[in-house]
Amino acid sequence: MTFLDRTTDARKFRHWEGNVEADYIYTSGVAGERFFIALRDEGRMLASRCTVCKLDYLPPRMFCEDCFAELTEYVDVAQAGRVAAVTVAHVDRTGAKLSHPQVWAFVTFEGIRGGLFHRLLVAPKLARAGLSVQARLKPRDGRTGTIADIEGFEPVHSRF
Amino acid sequence: MTARISRWPGIELRAADLIEGKVTQTRFRPDAKYAWSAGEAMSRFLEELQNGRFIARTCHKCERILFPPRMFCEECFRPTDAWTFIHDTGTIETFSVSYLDTDAKRITEPILVGVVSLDGASPKMGMMHYFGGMTKDEIRIGMPVKAEWKPPGDRRGSVLDILYFRPLREGER
Repeated sequence: MTFLDRTTDARKFRHWEGNVEADYIYTSGVAGERFFIALRDEGRMLASRCTVCKLDYLPPRMFCEDCFAELTEYVDVAQAGRVAAVTVAHVDRTGAKLSHPQVWAFVTFEGIRGGLFHRLLVAPKLARAGLSVQARLKPRDGRTGTIADIEGFEPVHSRF
Repeated sequence: MTARISRWPGIELRAADLIEGKVTQTRFRPDAKYAWSAGEAMSRFLEELQNGRFIARTCHKCERILFPPRMFCEECFRPTDAWTFIHDTGTIETFSVSYLDTDAKRITEPILVGVVSLDGASPKMGMMHYFGGMTKDEIRIGMPVKAEWKPPGDRRGSVLDILYFRPLREGER
């Protein structure tokens, strides 16, 4: 082997294996705290509002991206949203194959800047942008104040 | 805080607040596995220690024998060419008489450590190790020494497969 050949597998040689203990706790922040507490305790989804720019933010943030004002007003997000984009995952985040493909979607809401990235609770072949969807929440005792308090988004049942 | 600022803006959280779950949070443990390799040259070097011998690399351009072995000649900027065994005897280049042990604890009986250049390698090529079989008053720079190996069954392919370097005896090589 010359020095131009790269060794990509350290285990070919005498080696030491380990696991970096890089545990972390990431807090939600001021606006995120409001969002998750409302989601957990009341099953509501909140957006923060900039009254000057007439803009609502989801997930809520503490400052307006346009005018840098501190945002203190919160409003409820509409029940129904719209699927802006979908993707079907066949492997998990470690790269292991999933037993069933998972559908993920970015869901936006009328008049709100931003949106939520979450599971789309439909069969992969039915997943498409444009679907009208609503959040399906976990029951109150199962909610812990994380994004997983939402099980996913399911199609809004049509009246027809 | 400073003389002018008694309180920083923002919300202070103590470690206990996080542990008690006073605020919503995400906890994560990344699966950050690694394998750290000694590399091609040093792996062979360690394996040969288990066999009770020292191996070096030669560079055919500068005609040096590099020890500890490396796959790249830092003088010629080219890959080294061949493996070669060298002797387990050498010369003390430099030493320290240490009254601190490996945990930096104070000790009364000093340990002797230093650099030994090995016979068969290019001048000044050597390694750091312990010296034994001599006192702090007997040790000197230029002293000929020989590796005192652990019994073959106790060797693990580690630099500690050598117990220490001891004085070379009369008629020994």
